[in-house]
Amino acid sequence: MAEVRLSGLSKSFGSTVALEKVDLEVPDGSFVVLLGPTGAGKTTILRMVSGLDTPDEGTVTIGGQLMTGLTPAQRNVAMVFQQYSLYPHMNVRENLEFPLKSPLLRTPQSEIDRKVNEVAEILQISHKLDNKSTALSGGEMQRVSIGRALVRNPSVYLMDEPLSSLDAKLRADLRVELKSIQANSGATLIYVTHDQVEAMTMATHVGVLDNGKLVQFGTPRQIYEDPVSLYAASRLGQPRINVLPADLFANVPPKATSIGLRPEHILQGEGEESTVTRVEHLGDQTRLHLIFKNHDLITVTDAHTELQQGDTIKIKPDNPLYFDASGARLV
Amino acid sequence: MLDKKTGQAPAPSQGSNTRGMKGLSDRMVGWIFIAPTIFLLLAINIFPLIWTIRLSLTNYRANRTNAEVKWLGLRNYERILTDPDIWNAMQATAHFVFWTLTLQVLIGFTLAYLINKKFKGNDLWTTIIVLPMMLSPAVVGNFWTFLYQPQIGLFNYFIGFLTGADPSSFSMIGDVALAPWSIVIVDTWMWTPFVMLICLAGLRSIPDSIYEAAECDRASKWRQFWTITIPMALPFLMLAVLFRGIENFKMFDLVVQLTGGGPGSITELTSINLKREAFEKWRTGYASAYAVILFVTVFGLASIYVKALNKVKER
Repeated sequence: MAEVRLSGLSKSFGSTVALEKVDLEVPDGSFVVLLGPTGAGKTTILRMVSGLDTPDEGTVTIGGQLMTGLTPAQRNVAMVFQQYSLYPHMNVRENLEFPLKSPLLRTPQSEIDRKVNEVAEILQISHKLDNKSTALSGGEMQRVSIGRALVRNPSVYLMDEPLSSLDAKLRADLRVELKSIQANSGATLIYVTHDQVEAMTMATHVGVLDNGKLVQFGTPRQIYEDPVSLYAASRLGQPRINVLPADLFANVPPKATSIGLRPEHILQGEGEESTVTRVEHLGDQTRLHLIFKNHDLITVTDAHTELQQGDTIKIKPDNPLYFDASGARLV
Repeated sequence: MLDKKTGQAPAPSQGSNTRGMKGLSDRMVGWIFIAPTIFLLLAINIFPLIWTIRLSLTNYRANRTNAEVKWLGLRNYERILTDPDIWNAMQATAHFVFWTLTLQVLIGFTLAYLINKKFKGNDLWTTIIVLPMMLSPAVVGNFWTFLYQPQIGLFNYFIGFLTGADPSSFSMIGDVALAPWSIVIVDTWMWTPFVMLICLAGLRSIPDSIYEAAECDRASKWRQFWTITIPMALPFLMLAVLFRGIENFKMFDLVVQLTGGGPGSITELTSINLKREAFEKWRTGYASAYAVILFVTVFGLASIYVKALNKVKER
């Protein structure tokens, strides 16, 4: 296991800038989640770290060693691809064995069997081991693909949206499994997703990417509570942060043009009136859709609320986040 | 449209029970559509085949239609299978098929592998390599007789240049030892591009991401080649071998133009041999038996091979 350091990493594909001067330090044994929409450069970072692509500028160091010019095999990274990339002519067991059968490792067959069975157990694919890898569902393929990385003991795991095609229950199971595997083994893991639940629940660190730039890096809590920009703030939080023009409220800082309200920033029962447009009972909580001075808002309220559509409720911002015209946070 | 009473769509038509246009059942319409094809197939494939089998049991001669036709039973077959000339032709064919396939697969796959590497102008190279395949076999046979010409032939000059031997000291199509190789060389020259194209299709069907995964799984280029490239391209490779194998088993035009079966009957492949029996010696019954034997051989080999191919594809 090792720490990973990216410094000044840039990459363009033709005229499209995929990454722009990204500096990132992934501590040894950390679980780093890269968040951002499609095209933000998340996958590009993984490919640079793995050595499948070479950066135009900047360097990658793994465990203190400069990786420039080294192949993925020499870097000893394990990667889970978004498109699974299973070996179609091999069955599930052969796919899982493939990395262990590398002549570099000289793993004895009994050890290979043990490892493969163990990983298959965790990923709930033991009963599929002798299936053809092309005769699996998308979720099963994805699990085999994760398994192919987990059987190894690399210096860093790279995972590109590994849980995206699983159903909700399995995804929740595997989130816990992956997190505990990582925590127990002390592995360094770089994980790409745009699912904020995965980011919040698994990450020790979150990196927020915007158009090839790393805009914020910190613990999930830091990014949630102390985002540097409107963009970073809207990456995390369910329901999403509400953004309203700042001039709807009194006492805002002079340069603020918009105000960001998470549910906990909205005090109910005081302040100005708003109209309830919809009530969503989710069981453990209730979501309120409100109209406040012609602006839509979503907040959370008591699970057993008596409020109904058409009711009015007074609300008031409580310690909200302020942003200037460029979207930067005002503190 | 919705049914007014039940509000449901009408049930879809169910096979032959539903009446189609003008009272014809679906099954009937189907038969009408395939009838011309079935008729043609029967008329130009199945009927001649059965007729050939019938003729093969007689001493019929197509140039003497008035002569009495005698029923010989399996005598023709017996005579063919004990005829040393025919065994020589079989051997010449086996030699030709084996070596053309081996060379074409080796060279064709290598070329495909090289062309598949991303480099500038590989489309142009593909076009150039494919050119020989587009020529007529008769033309190819004809101009290779010039290339093989001991005094003025480019081929002889080229070999002489490489080995230092006198170009006019050997004759590819005149020498008993060299002639079998002369036809192997020309067929390989002409048809390697075909094998290359099919192999190229096979190689292109392997997505880059598979190699990337293997790269991350720490497989060396060597291991990637043997565990990914070869197994994944194998069905294509086998298909190329099947096509070329069947084609070369019945090779005729190219070799007739090039050597005419000579010198002596060294390059007389079975199809040339057969043509001599049927249309020079006019032993129609005998030649029919010969044709049936060849048909059964090719058909048998091909079906065993196709079984193997399907097994490989199913993995």
